Amino acid sequence: MAVSLSKGGNVSLSKEAPGLSAITIGLGWDPRATDGQAFDLDGSVFLLNASGKVRSDSDFIFYNNKASSDGSVIHNGDNTTGAGEGDDETVEIDLSKVPADVDKIAVCVTIHEAETRSQNFGQVSKAYIRVLNKAGGAEIARYDLSEDASTDTAMIFGEIYRHGSDWKFKAVGQGYAGGLGPMAKNYGVNV
Amino acid sequence: MQTFQTGQKSPLSNLTPSTMLTLSARVTGPAAEYDLMVFGLDAEGKLSDDRYMVFFNQPRSPEGAVSMSSGARGEKTFTLDLARLPPSVRRLSLAATVDNGSFGQIDHAEITLGAGGTPLATYRVTGRDFQAQRAVMLFDVYFKDVWRVGAVGQGFNGGLEALVKHYGGEVKDTPAGHPAPLSPAPNSAPAPTPAPTISLQKITLDKQGQSTKLSLSKAGGADPIRVNLNWDRGGGLFRAGADLDLGCMYVLNSGEGGVVQALGNSFGSERLVPYIELDKDDRTGAASDGENLVIYRPDLIHTVLIFAFIYEGTSDFTRVNGRLMLKDPRGNEITVRLSNPDVRRTFCAIARIENFGGEIQITKEERYFYGHSDCDEHYGFGFRWGPGSK
Repeated sequence: MAVSLSKGGNVSLSKEAPGLSAITIGLGWDPRATDGQAFDLDGSVFLLNASGKVRSDSDFIFYNNKASSDGSVIHNGDNTTGAGEGDDETVEIDLSKVPADVDKIAVCVTIHEAETRSQNFGQVSKAYIRVLNKAGGAEIARYDLSEDASTDTAMIFGEIYRHGSDWKFKAVGQGYAGGLGPMAKNYGVNV
Repeated sequence: MQTFQTGQKSPLSNLTPSTMLTLSARVTGPAAEYDLMVFGLDAEGKLSDDRYMVFFNQPRSPEGAVSMSSGARGEKTFTLDLARLPPSVRRLSLAATVDNGSFGQIDHAEITLGAGGTPLATYRVTGRDFQAQRAVMLFDVYFKDVWRVGAVGQGFNGGLEALVKHYGGEVKDTPAGHPAPLSPAPNSAPAPTPAPTISLQKITLDKQGQSTKLSLSKAGGADPIRVNLNWDRGGGLFRAGADLDLGCMYVLNSGEGGVVQALGNSFGSERLVPYIELDKDDRTGAASDGENLVIYRPDLIHTVLIFAFIYEGTSDFTRVNGRLMLKDPRGNEITVRLSNPDVRRTFCAIARIENFGGEIQITKEERYFYGHSDCDEHYGFGFRWGPGSK
């Protein structure tokens, strides 16, 4: 039974799914129903050390850098409209391969060209993040952002982080002003 | 008071503890009319009950939890009593539509959420927020764990039909040969008792062409059509009263055409061509019965365009409560409250009366112009216009 989280809530993935070694992060949103330019949401992942920064630029996994150098994180590609059943973008994380000096994995979503298209998360319907057990595909945790999404164009959807020897997932739902570039810079990426 | 941006959401309790709300909206732009409406949707965002579309033809939901009233200059105020809504209605969505033009052309639309007479939040969009949309969703009050509000600002190029489809409703094409049912003029007051149920099909039918059509077949073409223009004195202690003028442009079946109006003393005649007569020129609004125009022989006309314009004393029909009542031979009435969209367009083409082979059809126009000549240009009478005074 998947755990449905609200903003700020967290769950121990290791306890919910004993023996968990790899997860799939699913991101989804409804395609635009109204007339106008499509909502193109982009999922990005940052591998962060204990001080909350990337160790190098290759720890920033996004549509132009689809895998981390150690192979622990693989981004399965860009969906530019939100069309299609199920998750619109997925990222696979092999927790057993995540280097020991990575403390936290931030999963962020930005709206492509939000400014020129005058778009924000408040206009997007049914955005969510969910964590699946890669083995078997069972959903472990889910966070629906709908009511927490407002006028932001970049958001930290969730974080996967170490807690002792366990992995936990936190529903963050926090907006970030400025978009993907400033967000990456803030995590220490040279953009 | 909070200013909302497109996409912004908030729990209602952050704004007010009240569940008795008002949602006022007005669209300013070049179109003669922008329609405002509230859809009462279910938890899935669908219009599962037509009676919860509240608009000019149906100004009240069955239990009265949602009702609409009209203010000056096309402003509509929706009163929302959330506690009285049935549990099946979980989202109230304010929308606007336009038949001629698009929301990319509007100057702006302003929405104010209030409670107990106090404004709580405003939301403003301009033409730059849209392109070719002819129906736009503006502001939602909805229940998700708690009551919430959100500024939407998205729409559909396909107009009302596309909007209704989005809400899961279906709009069928106008069946040929069935004229639209008689509906009250949008601005008439007081609001008539709504029909117990209303189908979406009917709504769309009504709205096509943006005019209320009264088909008067076999109505005895020789019975007169009476038009009355009235307004309040206006002005103040030191100002002269406002002078509004009623008139018409006409073309008879014989091909003769002209204008009946006080300007140039063209009062017309009851017994001679054009059989259209204006009773007087009320220069101040003091006469209790205003100005009256009678078309004595509708059977002889080809087309008559009824108009009213401001000669002097005000720049705003609304300020002097300008209103026009048109009575056809059957006793049907069209009431139009005049409210020019901007101070320069003080000439209103109100109704078009046409004779189709002995059948008289009255179409509500309510289009605003700068004066006689651009109105004529729009309707194509082809009269010659020069400056005139009285």
